[in-house]
Amino acid sequence: MDREVLERFRIGDEAAVKAVYDRYGGPVFALSMSILGEHGLAADATQQTFIKAWRAASTYDADRSFAPWIYAIARRTAIDLYRKRARVVVSDNVDVVSFPIGLETVWEVFEVRSALDRLPDEERQVVKMSHFDGLTHVEIAQRLDIPVGTVKSRSHRAHQRLIEMLKHVEEA
Amino acid sequence: MTTEDSRAQYLASGASPGEESRDRLDLIRDVLSTDATWAEAPPQVADALLAALAVEGAPMSVASEPSSGRWALVLAGAGTLVAIAALVLGTVSVIQDEGENLVAMSGTELEAAARGEAAFGPTEAGWWIRLDVTGLPPAPDGSYYEGWVWSDDGEGVSIGTFHLRGEAMPVVLWSGVPLAEYPSIWVTLESEDDGPEASELIVMTGRIPQAPEA
Repeated sequence: MDREVLERFRIGDEAAVKAVYDRYGGPVFALSMSILGEHGLAADATQQTFIKAWRAASTYDADRSFAPWIYAIARRTAIDLYRKRARVVVSDNVDVVSFPIGLETVWEVFEVRSALDRLPDEERQVVKMSHFDGLTHVEIAQRLDIPVGTVKSRSHRAHQRLIEMLKHVEEA
Repeated sequence: MTTEDSRAQYLASGASPGEESRDRLDLIRDVLSTDATWAEAPPQVADALLAALAVEGAPMSVASEPSSGRWALVLAGAGTLVAIAALVLGTVSVIQDEGENLVAMSGTELEAAARGEAAFGPTEAGWWIRLDVTGLPPAPDGSYYEGWVWSDDGEGVSIGTFHLRGEAMPVVLWSGVPLAEYPSIWVTLESEDDGPEASELIVMTGRIPQAPEA
């Protein structure tokens, strides 16, 4: 992300806050959903994450990558929210908080979503229809009313970009 | 085919027959197929975020503007508050505290223990309204609270929803209509199975006696 934007984010500039949200709102929401599993709670966690980030912005070092910083805030915020909710539900045993999902994939969700959000829209659409909807290239071509060859070329380019952007995840 | 092409192909289609599996790429493929990865935040999150930051006093905030003529009107109206009946069952008052405009919120007979205040202020895109109340229990599963502003002509506009099952107060809501024309603030309990109209389960009310113009 542009260093100038991050510098302006540090002082609470509205346009910079919007720009940071536009870039990281999706990954933060995806991370929150992977921990909380509910849209309303994930929305709360996302909002709280950016408020906390804004409050702590003066401590952010603009020479370092922004993604790990906002990731750490988002993960902690979602877990805190989950614990609070679990305590309400398990009122007789407040110290026992079980997580329904594996927290070990939270970082991957954040990174994959960050990469997806940087794809061109038409490539992102093909990736979603392929992986999430489980459609074949022929079915995607029919849905989008475009030639199968176009679907294949978009898919090929998209996966090449993803491989490049997610190399650090693959090698982790 | 280059190594990169081969990995991209694997990411797209998984292992070919006889091909050795690649655990990390399989994990990324799993992540690509999960709901969470593709989930989209409701558009209200961005609005609520900006409103919340405005409340906190970011440079974009106009909540801390010095009192102007329109706010003086609010204060002038405060003297007559006692005589003004609440729209339904709540009592009303307005306080101005260091540039922040506050309306007392009272519980109706449905939530008689609920009480608190609604702070409000203008932004370039509308109004932020921050509810900070106590005694209002978390909405039961399958239901939620909804904030409304109402005109004296009986027209209501939703200003957002919340459930209190997670983070506690305050809750920041957002109005795109002028509070001068919609001076009553209600909180209703809504069922997830019902339509978008306000339910009859009004749990809190407040009123800006002489609302500022947008």
